[in-house]
Amino acid sequence: MTNRLRVLRAERAWSQADLAQRLQVSRQTVNAIETGKYDPSLPLAFAIARLFEQPIEAIFSPNGVSHE
Amino acid sequence: MECPPNRYTRRLLLWALLCAVLAVAVGIARREGWIPSSLRWVAALLPVVPMAGYFVGLGGWLRSLDELQRLIQLEALLVQFGLTGVVVMGYGLLAKFEVVPNTGIAESWAWLWMVLFFSWAIGQLIVRRKYR
Repeated sequence: MTNRLRVLRAERAWSQADLAQRLQVSRQTVNAIETGKYDPSLPLAFAIARLFEQPIEAIFSPNGVSHE
Repeated sequence: MECPPNRYTRRLLLWALLCAVLAVAVGIARREGWIPSSLRWVAALLPVVPMAGYFVGLGGWLRSLDELQRLIQLEALLVQFGLTGVVVMGYGLLAKFEVVPNTGIAESWAWLWMVLFFSWAIGQLIVRRKYR
């Protein structure tokens, strides 16, 4: 799965630690999601979508499917 | 939210310390013959009580972690289980075949806990590197 988490975070000028605090996860978890080493659970993906006020499919997409 | 949260670390350390202190105290008491025979089974199992507290605390610590940290702990546990099995069984078999000296260490619970601890630490190193 690929995601736009790094881009969305950069648009808001948040550090990984800022985002981690907002999502109540560790900074390592944010980093692992951004680098594609870890795919978040559905509840966490919903929390991310809610935080960035975007639908999940606008943030996450299956491998091989690029974001618009 | 970095793991482990301090309150859990403190609690776990206290339980482990209590377990070690009781194990040493009971060992001394047994050696000196201070334990009446009717209380031997109570004294023998006394150090196990804080161990139960330790594992209850460990459950609380795991529940306080986020999903990736829990996955890391689960994978580290798998490494711990596998490595301990290989080391303990391997050494036991080597001793049985008299390739290494049979010092009796392989049958000791202290040896088992030591191998468990080190293989858990190795598991942490390997799995944390994977998700770095």
